[in-house]
Amino acid sequence: MAKIGITTTIPAEIVFAAGHTPVDLNNILISHPEAVRLTEAAEEAGYPRNICGWIKGLYSVVVQGGDIDTVIAVTQGDCSNTHALMETYELAGVRTIPFAYPFDRDYDLLKLQMEKLTASLGTNWDAVNAVKRRLDAVRAKVAEIDRLTWQEGTVSGWHNHLYQVSCSDFNGDVNVFEQEADAFLAAAGNAAEYAEDVRLGFIGVPPILTDLYDYIEKMGARIVYNEVQRQFAMPFATDDIVEQYRLYTYPYGVFGRIEDIRREIERRNIDGIIHYVQSFCFRQIEDMIFREKLDVPILTIEGDKPSKVDARTRLRLDSFLEMLR
Amino acid sequence: MLCGIDLGSRSVKIVLMADGCIMTEKVLETVEFYRDYGRRKNGEMAVDFAALGLEDSEAVVATGYGRNTLAIAGATVIPELKAHAIGAVWQTGLTDFTLLDLGGQDSKVIKVRRGKMVDFQTNDKCAASTGRYLENMAAVLGISLEELSRHSDNPVELSATCAIFGESELIGRIVEGYTVPELAAGVNYTIFKRVRPMLAALTGAGETVVFTGGVAIGEALPRIIEQEMGVKVVVPERPQLNGAIGCAVHAMTLLAKEG
Repeated sequence: MAKIGITTTIPAEIVFAAGHTPVDLNNILISHPEAVRLTEAAEEAGYPRNICGWIKGLYSVVVQGGDIDTVIAVTQGDCSNTHALMETYELAGVRTIPFAYPFDRDYDLLKLQMEKLTASLGTNWDAVNAVKRRLDAVRAKVAEIDRLTWQEGTVSGWHNHLYQVSCSDFNGDVNVFEQEADAFLAAAGNAAEYAEDVRLGFIGVPPILTDLYDYIEKMGARIVYNEVQRQFAMPFATDDIVEQYRLYTYPYGVFGRIEDIRREIERRNIDGIIHYVQSFCFRQIEDMIFREKLDVPILTIEGDKPSKVDARTRLRLDSFLEMLR
Repeated sequence: MLCGIDLGSRSVKIVLMADGCIMTEKVLETVEFYRDYGRRKNGEMAVDFAALGLEDSEAVVATGYGRNTLAIAGATVIPELKAHAIGAVWQTGLTDFTLLDLGGQDSKVIKVRRGKMVDFQTNDKCAASTGRYLENMAAVLGISLEELSRHSDNPVELSATCAIFGESELIGRIVEGYTVPELAAGVNYTIFKRVRPMLAALTGAGETVVFTGGVAIGEALPRIIEQEMGVKVVVPERPQLNGAIGCAVHAMTLLAKEG
């Protein structure tokens, strides 16, 4: 059983079915005590300063970590820098397997990608579908954590983020992750309701800022919708695994995401949106589309390397909350 | 007496107000303020108002960068953009406008409707459209800030991507033989080019832009903004004190609520 690195959400069912452990390299980076050092190490190795901090960190996590020798890299639908990331992995002797989400959500092309991954890892559809049913049961529990966040008001924005974002790899062990989710649900059922006066949605890639949720709650507001994290957790009712990854909005262009965001703004009674963008990321361009298409106030904040919320961003957050009140 | 303090990156601005009038105003260098008039006490900054020559105030409201690192003892703190919006409404009597505030390091554009902030933009991490940049450029040209801020005709092309690299770019243009007025106009235009996207995002043609902050003291920039964007630019009487005034006006509101 090998650890297989993943650069973003891929069909984890296939990795588990093949008897391997998926490891979301982003989660390893952001929880690493020397996360900033890892991004700097990539710069010392030759990565340009003006490249996304996640990409640099992902490079060092694998190249310096030493226990991952295969990475499934999403070459379409996540980040085009992943192409060069794969090349530098290969230069360092790491095996890479490309996975591409078809831009037009074509069912057959997506199925073909999944079939190729299945073949490349040496498993089959039956085994993959069996894992899907197992993961769906766990995903349902994470969906319940999400519901408690916005409907019951008993879960913090951070825990909402954490459980959903962890569904990219289920922390490598589905059983342990499920036990943690069960324990969390039991406690959340009895938790006091949050009494914040501003309800926020968080859209965009998961933040590289480590205390964003804490800071927002300290200022009397709460994030009750984590857009991309919820997509990672796949709250879609379908028995067809290909269809499940087709319903997943994140890798297919911004307009499908906007539909999802609009629906959730309405359903969750959201006062304002924080659009998080990563420095040097092409997705920053999409900010102009969100501002055009969403009719709630939007604050765009930007993060570069793993760090706490800086003074300027705090100033902007304070002013945004003040404006919404 | 009500006291408003704006703890800026380059200067600290203080105003005292009574009966809706400004009684005293002070602008101190930020370092001088903390060094000579501040004392750290229980994690807060106790300000020696007597040494500043300021009378005791019934209420102190503060804003600005300093509030993130050190709280002023006894002061109510309000977000910076809010302070500036309140200050601009009070100073101009307008309720619907776009506020452009260019300070020592920060650029802010705030959309105000019916007297309230409804949207805003701030600059990214670089200070290339602010007072610090202008100080550097004036020093390179060997002229005063006042002289620098007069010129807007025949601007030389400068890219102005950085407040520091801007110096070498400007020196390059000096070597090419441009006159000081042309160089100064070029510098002023770099500021406009940096703030134009933010202004354009929140302002339509024909609307009013209230321009505040230390940078608004000069003549050229209001002229350039009016000409290039087709807006009406209003510079209030005390552009640099706008944030501090907003704090003092907020203190007035607080007292009224309490009373």
